[in-house]
Amino acid sequence: MDTLFFLPSWPPQVGSLTMAALVLLAALVAGEIVQRIFKLPRLIGWVIAGAIYGPSATGLLDAEALHDLQFVMHVAAGLVLFEFGQRIDLGWLRRNPWLAGTSVLEATLAFVAVFLILLLLRVSPPVAAFAAAIAMATSPATVMTLARDLRASGQVTQRVELLTALDCAYAFITIGVLLAWFHAEYHGDWVVMAAHPLYLIFGSSILALLAAAIARPLLMRLDAYGDVQRVCAFALVLIAVALGEWLNLSSALVLLGFGASLRALDDRRRFVSLDFGPLGQIFLVLLFALSAAALDLSIALAGAITGIALVAARYAGKYVGVVLTSRVSGLSTRKGSLVALGLMPMSAVALVFVHETVTVFPELARGLLSVLVPALVVLEMAGPLLARFAFVRAGESAAWA
Amino acid sequence: MSALESADPLHFSESRPLTLGVELELQLFNTRDCDLTPVASDLIDLIERQSHAGDVKPEITQSMLEISTGIHDRHDALLAELQSVRDTVVAAADRLNVLVSGGGAHPFQHWSERRIFDKPRFHQVSALYGYLAKQFTVFGQHIHVGCANGDDALYLLHAMSRYVPHFIALAASSPYLQGVDTAFDSSRYNAILAFPLSGRAPFVLRWDEFRTYFERLRALGVVESIKDLYWDIRPKPEFGTIEIRVCDTPLKVETAAALAIYAQALARRILAERPPVTEDVYLPYGYNRFHACRFGLDGELIDPMTRTRRPIAEDIGATLDTLGADPSAPESEPAFAVLRRMIGGAGNDAYWMRSTYQIGRSLPDLVFRQAERWRGRG
Repeated sequence: MDTLFFLPSWPPQVGSLTMAALVLLAALVAGEIVQRIFKLPRLIGWVIAGAIYGPSATGLLDAEALHDLQFVMHVAAGLVLFEFGQRIDLGWLRRNPWLAGTSVLEATLAFVAVFLILLLLRVSPPVAAFAAAIAMATSPATVMTLARDLRASGQVTQRVELLTALDCAYAFITIGVLLAWFHAEYHGDWVVMAAHPLYLIFGSSILALLAAAIARPLLMRLDAYGDVQRVCAFALVLIAVALGEWLNLSSALVLLGFGASLRALDDRRRFVSLDFGPLGQIFLVLLFALSAAALDLSIALAGAITGIALVAARYAGKYVGVVLTSRVSGLSTRKGSLVALGLMPMSAVALVFVHETVTVFPELARGLLSVLVPALVVLEMAGPLLARFAFVRAGESAAWA
Repeated sequence: MSALESADPLHFSESRPLTLGVELELQLFNTRDCDLTPVASDLIDLIERQSHAGDVKPEITQSMLEISTGIHDRHDALLAELQSVRDTVVAAADRLNVLVSGGGAHPFQHWSERRIFDKPRFHQVSALYGYLAKQFTVFGQHIHVGCANGDDALYLLHAMSRYVPHFIALAASSPYLQGVDTAFDSSRYNAILAFPLSGRAPFVLRWDEFRTYFERLRALGVVESIKDLYWDIRPKPEFGTIEIRVCDTPLKVETAAALAIYAQALARRILAERPPVTEDVYLPYGYNRFHACRFGLDGELIDPMTRTRRPIAEDIGATLDTLGADPSAPESEPAFAVLRRMIGGAGNDAYWMRSTYQIGRSLPDLVFRQAERWRGRG
């Protein structure tokens, strides 16, 4: 018999929670190293630590572990999108309609530029369209983390935040519409083609409104208790994410809409500074690390040229859109060009959401990843640096002033 | 006047007596969490694209904007210019999603987050005063009153000091600071008192004596220019004025204009009647000033000449009654009416802020409502 039963078993059993803790620890340490020694944004360290853990590198996190931790990424992305939704200020768009013009123009131009360049590189039209839709979006997690670390505030920061939030909404709506096209392309089922995107877009909006209608009175009654309000909001976001997944809706749209509706309903500005504090920070770090771990780095090398072309086309589209409309929307051209740089971040977080959709069309998955992953690898590194440059150059960073 | 004289910074330029100019320092904040936001240069950029009334300048931090008027004698014209420049600023701010308001201090800003405006003088100030320079993100109204010569200016400055508590109490609009109710009606004033050259001017009544005093300070290296003096009332020889600096920026331009007209009316009477002024006027000065900051219109005022004490509101009422009888300025009556409403129960802006805070019980909400009030709503 096992007489040494009291000794630990070997190899050790590492549960997913422990694994998450190990990733978190490594990412935090890497973040500090990168920030203190190399003077780079912390989140680059989080990304590097995640990539090292991932199956493409050491494999400490294998595909199975990543799958187990997927819910962490969904929750984390939900928290970020909820916070970003709160930054969609419809009043500003009404008072400065040119800003809405900027937003539509830069997103459209980025879509068109990326779509055309990918077609030129002989990528199939559905894959090119899907990739272009994702490329419209700027990474809200990156923008939020940078703005917070730099304590940035001002026109460039505020416009980057607003455009990022709107870009995310456009991207997810476009993805919904594109789904219709894919249904026709792959299944030829016209009922599904019409119904699926409608269900996705309207279902998500309705769920978002309902969540906000329930959250508002609840959060208002808790306002005197500080952290209680914050934790309660956290729980509500978790529930909204779970509902979105169960209903097969777009969690991204649900959470963006939840945040935006809550802000619109907050006539007394009681949630104005509603964020998730250290709790949110834990999820944010894990989000960057885990999504980076999931990147298949071998694809990145193979598609380097496509990736760089995509990044360049995306920048060109956003730059032209923002700079053309910057003076009429009340900002100098110089600051307009900084806004365009601030919109550069794109992160593997985008894949977290696309993953759900792509699984419906396994035919697409491989093509899409081969186009997107190289671009993501470039922008995981370059995006934060460009955006930081933009905030600092605009004189809006308190930390670097 | 020779070129030599005009190059002399201490030469007191003659100006038409009793003319007025007003400067207001305004707060700029974002609409997301209503915290101060460094947007002054973008806002000025946008405003300067077209011609407009008044003047708009950057101040020590990027989250502060200074507006100023031209030279006026009459209430209606002064108020019209203030309203026009306010509307210009608000229209530009709307396009940038920025809120603008009066108020002596931001209710919950944290000073370390403020960015100092990119101009060499401001960097010098910042380097010299350290945390004080940033704590100095307080917002005031400055009233210039024109004087015929330096001697008149100094006489008026000291005679006017008896009324300093009136101005503090009427303009007080900084009850909240760093997220708490300070119990003061004007907490801004305490921030200013921390500066080495704040407080009252020395009791000197002749301009050549003042020159000697200032030259001695300069020889000691204490000051470089008149700008280094943060006195409650200081002479401004370059403009030929005295500058009353004790007011918080009121929440409405109407109040700002009324305060300026009140200063003008006091000056008119003082210069006409020439009551004798001795240094005794400063005996209760600190006491009165504290009462005005702490309790606003309910504070107590000791009159150094008559040795009576009474509530500040009552003292203002009595002063307004005597000023109102002045037949030479009937057009000032609407301004006095604004002040009478305040002492008659409407209260000062600090009172409005405390009552408004009770509605939403959120300081960002208060800031938002302050901005609405600045627009002329609420």
